[in-house]
Order: sequence, then C-alpha cells, then structure tokens
Amino acid sequence: MSQRQPPNVDGGKISRRDFLKLLAAAGTVMTFTPFVDWGKFLPNPKETSEERSKVVLPDGSQANVNTFKINHAEAIVYPMSEDPVLNEEAFRTWQFIRLPPELGGEKNDASAFRMYSMVCLHLWCLWKYWPEDGRKRGECPCHGTMYDPLTGVAFAGPAALQAPPSNVLPSLDLEVDDEGNIWIKPPNWTPSGNGVVGYGRFLT
Amino acid sequence: MGVSLHNQDNSLVRLFKWIYTGFDRTIFMGLKFTLPAKFVSPLGFLGMLTFVVFIILGITGAFLMLWYEPILDRAWDSVSKINDTIPYGFHMRNIHYHASNAMVMLAILHMYYQFFSGRYKIRNEMLWVTGILIGVLTILEAFTGYDIIFSERAVLAISIAASLTNSIPILGPDMMNAFFGSGFHDFVLRFYAFHVFFLPIVLLGLMVVHFPRFLVFDVPMVMAVTGAIMLTGGVFPIDLGLKFDPTVPPGVTVPEWYLTGLYAFLRSAFDKFTTGVLWPGLFIFTLLIIPFIDRYKKFSWKDRPIITALGITSIAQIIITTYWGFYIDPDRTKSLLERLVIDPIFLYTVMALLVPLSFGFTYLMIKLAKNAEANAKKQKPTEKNSIQLPAKWLYILFIVLIGFQVYLNIAAYYAVLNGMKNYSLFLIGILMLVFAGMFHLYRYSRGLSKSNVEVVTTNKRKFVFPSFGTGSAKSLPSKTAKVGELSDSSDRIFNAPSDKSLDDKKPVPVPEIPPSKGSSLSPSSNNSATAVDARTESASSNDSNPNLRTNAASLRSIKNDPNDGKLRQQLNSPESSSPTSISDKEGSTTTNPGKNRT
Repeated sequence: MSQRQPPNVDGGKISRRDFLKLLAAAGTVMTFTPFVDWGKFLPNPKETSEERSKVVLPDGSQANVNTFKINHAEAIVYPMSEDPVLNEEAFRTWQFIRLPPELGGEKNDASAFRMYSMVCLHLWCLWKYWPEDGRKRGECPCHGTMYDPLTGVAFAGPAALQAPPSNVLPSLDLEVDDEGNIWIKPPNWTPSGNGVVGYGRFLT
Repeated sequence: MGVSLHNQDNSLVRLFKWIYTGFDRTIFMGLKFTLPAKFVSPLGFLGMLTFVVFIILGITGAFLMLWYEPILDRAWDSVSKINDTIPYGFHMRNIHYHASNAMVMLAILHMYYQFFSGRYKIRNEMLWVTGILIGVLTILEAFTGYDIIFSERAVLAISIAASLTNSIPILGPDMMNAFFGSGFHDFVLRFYAFHVFFLPIVLLGLMVVHFPRFLVFDVPMVMAVTGAIMLTGGVFPIDLGLKFDPTVPPGVTVPEWYLTGLYAFLRSAFDKFTTGVLWPGLFIFTLLIIPFIDRYKKFSWKDRPIITALGITSIAQIIITTYWGFYIDPDRTKSLLERLVIDPIFLYTVMALLVPLSFGFTYLMIKLAKNAEANAKKQKPTEKNSIQLPAKWLYILFIVLIGFQVYLNIAAYYAVLNGMKNYSLFLIGILMLVFAGMFHLYRYSRGLSKSNVEVVTTNKRKFVFPSFGTGSAKSLPSKTAKVGELSDSSDRIFNAPSDKSLDDKKPVPVPEIPPSKGSSLSPSSNNSATAVDARTESASSNDSNPNLRTNAASLRSIKNDPNDGKLRQQLNSPESSSPTSISDKEGSTTTNPGKNRT
C-alpha cells in the first residue's frame, strides 16, 4: 500500500505573476464592494414617517394638555400599525407620562410630558410608571430596575449597571399644537438620537 | 444483475435487490458503510448516532412545521395546540425536544472522545474543525428551537441573545437589526427561519464535509438511542412554559442545560460582551485550533499529558459553570437581584483554581494508568479479565441503581397520571430498547454458535452469562474448548485470547476495498458496480494507509473471531492489497456485509 504524499502546504512559493493576478482580482472586487447594497434586505424597513403623528390614548382619543391628568401615565402604541398583531408588539409600546407637579408637570406645554419606551433595558420586560407618593418612578416588575421619569435614566437595579447607552430609556420628542393636542415628532432611531428600543440612548 | 432475474426470489426481493445494486452507482459507495456483525463500542461511532438523531429531529420537526405558526401572538398557542389537541402532536413535540437534547449530548461526547483519543491527527484536521463548527451550530439550532415557543423562558433567552449581539463593539447594533429584526414579531419569525432552514442547511453542508470515509451503522445502538429518547419523552414530558405576557413579571427561569454555563458567566454581573461573547468565543477558538497546537506524535491520552489536561480542565469548568448556572438561591426572602447575581471574584477564582487541579488530576491519572500498564505487563502478558470491583463498591452501585430505578418508576407513575399520552411514548421507548437488547443478544449468540463452541448448560445452571467486562464481545477460544462444568467464574471458558491479537503488529482490519488498477476485471464479476468500486478505490487507494490508522481506534473494539477469520484473512493478508481481480471482487463483498449474506 503506497501512501499518498500529503499535499505540499509549507511551500509558500507563489510566482510573481500569480501574486499580481491575485492582487488585481482582489482589487477589482474591492473596487465594487461599496456599490453593492450589502445586507439591506435584512433589517426591517423603519416605519418612520416624516410627518408628526398623534398621541392616541387607549380610548382612541388624541392626548390633550388640557385634559390629561397631572402625575399620570398611559401606555401608547407607536408607530400604530394597521395590523392588530403588530400593535401587540412590546417594542411598540410607550409609556406616556405627565410629570408630577414638583417635576414641572403643571405646565401646559410639551415640557410637562415624557414618552419612554416601555421595554426595560435589562431583559425587556415592560416597566410602568407608579404615581404614588414616595414612588413616582418607573419600575420594572421583573428584576426591579427603577427609572427616573424626568430623564429616563435607570438609577437602580440591573439596568443601572449597564454601560451607556443601555442605561437610559429611548424617548420620543413631543410637541403641542394651538388646540393643546399632543403630537409625536418624527423620530431618529439611533442611540445618539431618540434611542434604540431595547438597547438604550446616549444622554446628551 | 441479470443473474438475479433467474433465481427463485420473488418480485419484491428482486425489486429490493435491484435497488440495492443500484446504490453501487451512487455516492453511497464512496463511503465505507458497515453494519457491524459484532458488538462495537459505541464510542467509536457517536458521530453516526448524532447524525441519526439529527434525522429524527428533521422528521419530527417537519411534522411540527405543519402546525406551528411563527406569529407573535399565536406561536405559543399553536405549540399548545400541537401539544394538547393535534393527534400525536404531543409525541412529535416530545420526541423533537428530547432528541434535540440527545443530539447536543451526543455531539459533546463525540467531540470529547475524538479529543482524548487524538483522532483529529493524521490529516483529520478538516474533520475536527468542521466538527467544532457543527457543534456550535447544533447548539444554536437547539437554542433557536426552544426560543420560538415564545414562552417566558424563550423571551428571556431571545432578549439575552439579542442584547449579546447588540453588545458587540461597533457592528453589534447593526448585526442585531439585520439578523434578528426589530421587535418581537421579527424575532419569532426570524428565529423560526433560522431554526428550520438556515441552520439545518448549513449543518447538512458541513456534515457532507465532516463525514469520514468510514461509517458504522449499528442497528441495536441506534435503536437503543431512539428508544432512550422516547422513554425520556414518556417519563419526563416537556411542559410548555407560561405564555409570555409583557406586563406580567416572568418567573426566574434558567436556559437549557447546554447554555447554563454561559448563563453563569452572564449572571456574574460582569461586562456583557466579555462574559457572553468573548469567553465562549475563546473556548470555541481554543477547540478549533487544538489539532494545530497538539504536537505530540502519539494518539493515546496517556502520551499527550498537556492536551489531556486541557481537556480535563475544560470538562471540569463546563461541569462547574453548568451547575452554577442552574443554581439559584432558593431563599425567597432575599431580593431577586441578590439571588441571581454570582459574585464574579468567586466565580473566576474557582475557574482559575480548576486549572491546576485538573492538571494535577490528569497527572495522577496518567501516572496510575501507566503504573497499571506496567504491572499488567509484569504479571501476565495479556489476560484482561472483567472489571473486578470490590464488594463494597458493588453494593454502592447496586443501591444507586435501585435508587435510580425507584426514581424512574415514580416519574413514570406521575407521567401516567398526567393523562396517559406519554405512556404510549414510554412503551414505544421500552419496545425499542428491548428490541435493541434482543438484537444484541441474537448477534452475540450467533457469534457464539459460529465460533464452534458448544454452549453447554448443565443441570446445575441453565444460563451462564459470560463476564461482562472489558469487552462484552470477547471472542472465544478457537480450539476445542474444554467445557466442563460451568462455574461461576466464566473466565475459564472465555479466557479471551483475542486481546493478544490486538497487541500484535498486524494492521488492524479495515473493511477497505483493496485497490485495483481497474483493468483486470474478471468476467465473474457480473456487474459493472465492482468496476466502479475498483475505479473509485484505485483513485483513493493511495492513502488507504493513513486511513487504516484513522480507523484503528474505532476498530479496536471489533474483536474478530480467530475462527471467523475468513474476512479477517482477506483483509490482513498482503494479497488483498495486490491488484488481482479476485481479491477485488472479494474485497468489495466484504465491504458490504449485507451483500455477503444474500
């Protein structure tokens, strides 16, 4: 039984011509790489409209600064979809908070309101705002992360230990029109913008 | 082929024979596929068992696909429907679940067996590297599988996977967005796509590369593994978990057992990326480069102390972290945070301490093993008897076994209480195990009858079990066995001369088709299939020598009867390698034992 010699792998002998050919081929490929739309199929197309959208309360009406109670919170679906299944998506739920009076909730403008993603930055349970005296903060039921309603910073619990941007909740910018109706400004889904749901936001 | 048309076979047999000969023209002939006629240690073909379990998973998974709906608010409900209302859905789901565990387990055992027996050497590096990749993908496959149930545990697992991907520097967030999508609706759908198509197709592709050229399909062992899966499904039916409700705080859940090691690191409240991505990545990378850092010239674990010590260290660390990941402080008065977080200093100290401990342990083991070897050589040349356990240990073993039996019985009782559905699964499992046992006994007794030893039963004893020791397929003495009265020590009869035959310098028999130049086909070789064999073999005959060594370890355990040596002679005799047409034909028949029998 003759044994086949193992392939010669230690040679390292490559002719100059071959090397140049290799360079040319690699260069050609590299030249065209920036023009290929790599992987654009994979991410979900962002449902960002360039227009502002209404803050629709659970009862179907639009939130208004004149009627929304101080120190109160509601769960909002944003962006609202035609598909009821998608509207149940935890990543589309937002906590719409009117701050307590000591934090400036009595003003009748957008500064009295906050809109934070309800997805806890730790393990993605849904936290909510507790308006009781002595609490007045967002609390996650799963592992006890607590969120500051004024800034969205996790100040206690496991999410507070996470490195930025994963310790600040994503938030949406709001504006109020002449009739007092509250609108959501078009978001910028980046960590340095409005933040990434489930990931966090850089505090600017 | 024309021959078979004129014999007495009925049409069905002829159809099967036609199909069988047809395989000669397919890729299957490139593989040396063996149905062992004797007991072979399953350690040698754990990879084949893993593949069989993979096939089981494919079939049951395909059936589950008929009912599963990868939609956010219906995933759990559809699994619940499969489990509770679809006929046999319960069975499919349980087989699928337990087979996935079995596949991961078998793959890990397979890897460690190859690791310690050094079989990634001699240009088998490709097999090793693809094997490691297959192992990683297998775990990912199992992971995506239990995520798409979308129970509470699944959501925690998904969120950990997504946040770990997110934590990768620079590319992380984009990668997460690309692979997992945004939001739970995407996660369910994409994990499903990964689970049923992307990962399996890559696995299959890698398996094609990973297959060695020599395969063993041991029917009783395959039956036993399948039966064990069903039995486990019957005794421990898997529950559904609670449906995920974002507003309800989930209970404390731990991942599946193959990920609790990783979970322990994650719980150490250290940086997510380091613990969740870097450490496992480092582990996998180390495994990948093992063949290239192992510079020992020998195969046995005893002769490769550093590598063996590395393996022992990894096993010790896997066991410790796996257990640690499972352990959650049961004291419910403490806060969840306190119960969950593992002190990183404690964890890493233990990890570091395990290294010298494992090295010391390995040193001890090697020393003991070499001492035992030397002692055995001093006393008698061979004479390997059955394992001699002290009586105390036997009692302990018995008690442990009885305890396990009681535990199984209780579990079975509760399983029956839970609606009898799993009872049928349990019974099928028992049936398959019994079939495996029967097959094995039949094979064993046929070996006995072939070896011309009269199995004498005296009046005193009806049944005498040969020693179940080092090899349950001990071959029998070839000469006229002096069977007198069978006594307790069956060693007098079965004194195992075959062990000597393993130590001699003859090449270990391999059912290899002897090379032929392909031109000298005798007219008696009635079909062109042998010609194909010869051609394919002559192409690959040059490297049959390393192949012999590769398969040596797996074949150690095939202890051929000296009497049954027809096959053995052909394989060992130097003529078999000479390119004569006769040996060519015989060689090809020995490759297919089934053909031999027809």
